[in-house]
Amino acid sequence: MSSVQTSHQAVDVQGLWKIFNEGSNNEVTALSDINLSVKPGEFISLIGPSGCGKSTLLRVIGDLTGATRGEVFIAGETAPVAREKQLYGIAFQQAALFDWRTVRRNVELPLELQGLGKKERRERALELLELVQLSDFAEHRPWELSGGMQQRVAIARSLAVDPPLLLMDEPFGALDEMTRERMQNELLRICQETGKTIIFVTHSIPEAVYLSDRVIVMSPRPGRITHTVPIELGERNEDTRETDTFYAGVTAVREALRGRSASASPPRIEEL
Amino acid sequence: MSEPVSGKQRGATRTRVQRGVISILWALAGVVLVVLMWEAVKFLGSFIELPINTSDTSMPHVWTMVDAFSNPVVRGSDTTVLQAVVSATLTSLKIALGGFTIGVTFGIVLAVIMQRFAFFERGLLPFVIASQTVPLIALAPLIVGLGNRISFGPIEWTTTYSVMFIAAYLAFFPLSVGALRGLQAPSATSLELMRSYAARPNQMLWKLRFPSSVPYLVPALKVSAAAAVVGTVVAEISTGVKGGVGRLLIEYARETTSQPAKVYVAVFGAIALGLAAAALVSALDLYLTRNLPKESQA
Repeated sequence: MSSVQTSHQAVDVQGLWKIFNEGSNNEVTALSDINLSVKPGEFISLIGPSGCGKSTLLRVIGDLTGATRGEVFIAGETAPVAREKQLYGIAFQQAALFDWRTVRRNVELPLELQGLGKKERRERALELLELVQLSDFAEHRPWELSGGMQQRVAIARSLAVDPPLLLMDEPFGALDEMTRERMQNELLRICQETGKTIIFVTHSIPEAVYLSDRVIVMSPRPGRITHTVPIELGERNEDTRETDTFYAGVTAVREALRGRSASASPPRIEEL
Repeated sequence: MSEPVSGKQRGATRTRVQRGVISILWALAGVVLVVLMWEAVKFLGSFIELPINTSDTSMPHVWTMVDAFSNPVVRGSDTTVLQAVVSATLTSLKIALGGFTIGVTFGIVLAVIMQRFAFFERGLLPFVIASQTVPLIALAPLIVGLGNRISFGPIEWTTTYSVMFIAAYLAFFPLSVGALRGLQAPSATSLELMRSYAARPNQMLWKLRFPSSVPYLVPALKVSAAAAVVGTVVAEISTGVKGGVGRLLIEYARETTSQPAKVYVAVFGAIALGLAAAALVSALDLYLTRNLPKESQA
């Protein structure tokens, strides 16, 4: 199902504006002049304080809300076409699993909506549950699972149609710190195994640095991209979170969030 | 993975069957309590002056009522009062069921239309609410009068259909309001999720909105069932249609002086009618909520 066209960027956002209630008294500029290109297989994080438009940007990319001006392309297709063609999967802070379906049938949902046969759906769902290490819970109900497990089901579901791109809106935001770190490692493993491109919205600086190839720092009123911080941590493992490079990355993102550029030392910050 | 599964804690509490048995025992205890209080009031009335009439003609003994079950309907008749009441109750049950089914169907269709088109919600909802402020007693003769002119090919519109229509009229309202709330219940995240899957409107309805509406639908069904029963009995009385328990209540109430316990047999029939409706809805409830966590059961 997935065909990552190498000639295109995985995601290309050009001159994007999103203005709520345009022309009225309570006009809000949620996004102003966003330009962003994501390479296939790249992991980028969007970080910034509340109201900086990071979630809105993710929703515009996913065509869950329309752009006021500017253009969004996913693998060369416009956002509405990309949504119709299921070129992305999405996961939210709430797992949003359907209580009345078993775990397996939750993962099957996107395939069911596409009209895929019962047998194929089932096979694909079981394959994905194995990927997120929940095979034993296939026939359980979502409400019997812990928060972390529910979120893993949601990730499996977002991978169901094998889209080249995953949009993730604070998927680990409601989890405790230990579960969160474990989920981060699992997400990186899944990325490695599947080669997906990921756009990841988060509030957490360490999370953004640990996961990403590139951290996009945003600022509110109006929502805009202020800095791009490249992260070069190489292969992540248990010790990565304690390396100097990791701390340097955290510092760099923190400085960028404060609106300052870091003094010296890698990784460098590209002022925009 | 060693993450805790909250489902295990559920197993420690009582099972559905155990809880069912316990609630039946409580219900029986309630019946016994009512019987005891009835007889206690009568007993008390024989010593002191009470504000209500406790004589045997107004408040027959419970055993007189039980006796009345096996009395013949009229002197020398083969049918007992019990048989007459049972058959009348079954007739009313059929009418109430018909009204309930029509009302529920109409209520759901209306809710779907109102959910789908905000214009209809704004336009229709006030009428739906206003419809329930019209007194049933005023409506019944009107519907019978209108109904007399209607015939669908070979099917003649009888007064029985008018009664069913009135039952449906009462039943649709709680259902359409409950169903509308239920259809609007899915979270913004669920809706965005379905949109991201490019779900068609009918998929949205069947895969998300209907299943989400179940916790709202179940209480609405209970109210609708009760409304259908009350509607049937009252409409039977006010239209004077024969064969149902409503008519029987009126007939037996006229015989209080000669057979004071007789009307109570009809009352028991009406109660049985209500219980049958409640049982039906409980069965529906168990079926509809079989896959849901216990908390969301109404």
